[in-house]
Amino acid sequence: MIIVENITKYYNGRAALRGITAHVERGEFVYLTGPSGAGKSTFLRLLYRAELPDGGRIIVNERDLSHMRHRDVAEFRRRLGVVFQDFKLLRRRTVGENVTFVLSLLALPEREQQRRAYLVLKQMGLQHRMHALPDELSGGEQQRVAIARALVLQPDLILADEPTGNLDPEHSHELLELFKTINYQGTTVMVATHDRVLIEAHVARTIALEHGRVASDGWGIAP
Amino acid sequence: MSRHGVREVGRQLRESGGVGVVAVLLVTVTSLMGGALWTVRGWVRTELLTSDHATTVVAIVRGAAQVDALRSQLSAAFPRVSAVALPPRKVQEQLAAWFPELSTVLLNLEERSFPALLQVQVEPGTEEPVLSWLSHRPEVTMVESSRAWQARLRSAMSRLLLGGFLLTSAMLLGCCVVVLLVVRLLVLAHADEIAIMRLIGAHDGDIRRPYLISGLLLGLLGGAVGAACLLAVSYAVRSALPTLSVDATTPAMLPPAGALAGLVGSALGLASLPKEP
Repeated sequence: MIIVENITKYYNGRAALRGITAHVERGEFVYLTGPSGAGKSTFLRLLYRAELPDGGRIIVNERDLSHMRHRDVAEFRRRLGVVFQDFKLLRRRTVGENVTFVLSLLALPEREQQRRAYLVLKQMGLQHRMHALPDELSGGEQQRVAIARALVLQPDLILADEPTGNLDPEHSHELLELFKTINYQGTTVMVATHDRVLIEAHVARTIALEHGRVASDGWGIAP
Repeated sequence: MSRHGVREVGRQLRESGGVGVVAVLLVTVTSLMGGALWTVRGWVRTELLTSDHATTVVAIVRGAAQVDALRSQLSAAFPRVSAVALPPRKVQEQLAAWFPELSTVLLNLEERSFPALLQVQVEPGTEEPVLSWLSHRPEVTMVESSRAWQARLRSAMSRLLLGGFLLTSAMLLGCCVVVLLVVRLLVLAHADEIAIMRLIGAHDGDIRRPYLISGLLLGLLGGAVGAACLLAVSYAVRSALPTLSVDATTPAMLPPAGALAGLVGSALGLASLPKEP
């Protein structure tokens, strides 16, 4: 599902990622962890091709991202569910529209869009806020809308950047349970988090980054 | 277009605000001007400048006694033309009838102040020979044809219409620029949202479509209002100029023309989209 080989990424001459190599099989659940500035977000941005690496090779969903044509990028992203750290909700659109927008890109019938959006928002406990604008929601609610938007496409791969950052512990655990459930159904999930408690509570393969390098890669957090 | 697209277009039209209204007004004025010029052009061509109408040639004759003789000679040379001899007294009366407000002055002038005229109705084919024949007569001091006035009018109208169409073209270009600015302002205001849409899998086409439709609708609305104004103006001047009528195609063409201007403007405004964050 994900093949990352010796990737490097520099910002203004400073290395954010230094020779990272990792393989994630289809159906795996992987944590990406490490302290702030370790390169977790950069790593995820490379995986959904928001950026290109300065060196190395990235293959996601059998697609070599370095050699992908510009017009194929949108199609590639439609098969991913990305939960952004800063939510990236469409501010002028309602919660319902934020979720159905990605479905409208697939030209699904209107009724099907509404049905799927309702179901996923209900799963997030937000079915009663469908007509609210993002700015009328709390941080936690906005995060759940962002998660709903990522899940509604039933993607092959979910990339979540600090998805529990604005959630209380109870909601955080519920969300992880949800990701696990989705993972059991065959979807590959990669969650970037620095929340050690969460990783210890929901143990899975964990890739730890430190100073842009892979510090450890194994089951649970390395001691 | 999906419901998302329809709602987005509605939002964009609302957000375009005052600049959007200016764009609609400019398209309205331009389309009204273009439509009016086109209508006037057609009217001038059919009513004033038609060359297949009979025309009048007027010859000024030296003396009252000679005008009847000249008419007889002309009828002999051109049996198919009809000519009327107007002695000075008749000319005086005719002028007084044409200009009733000056009739008192005209009728009090001496009769010899007026020339004797020969008025000849000619068909287009016989105009030149009649003009030539009359101008070579020694008793004729001057010959004028209404066709000459028509030519001068044609030249003046051509210049006027050319100027009008150039001005309309410039205004049409202005419409495109204003719509371009409206769309560009919207795009810049929505830069973050456009970047997000790209990140979640929208093609450039998905992003551009609502903006293109918004620009098109602004132009279409302006063109439709312009067409309505044109019909209203033509109705208002109907009593003064009964022969001036707007044909059905002119107002029908204005909304599509406005829409095209809006579409071109919005396409230019979308030439480049904001980059991903």
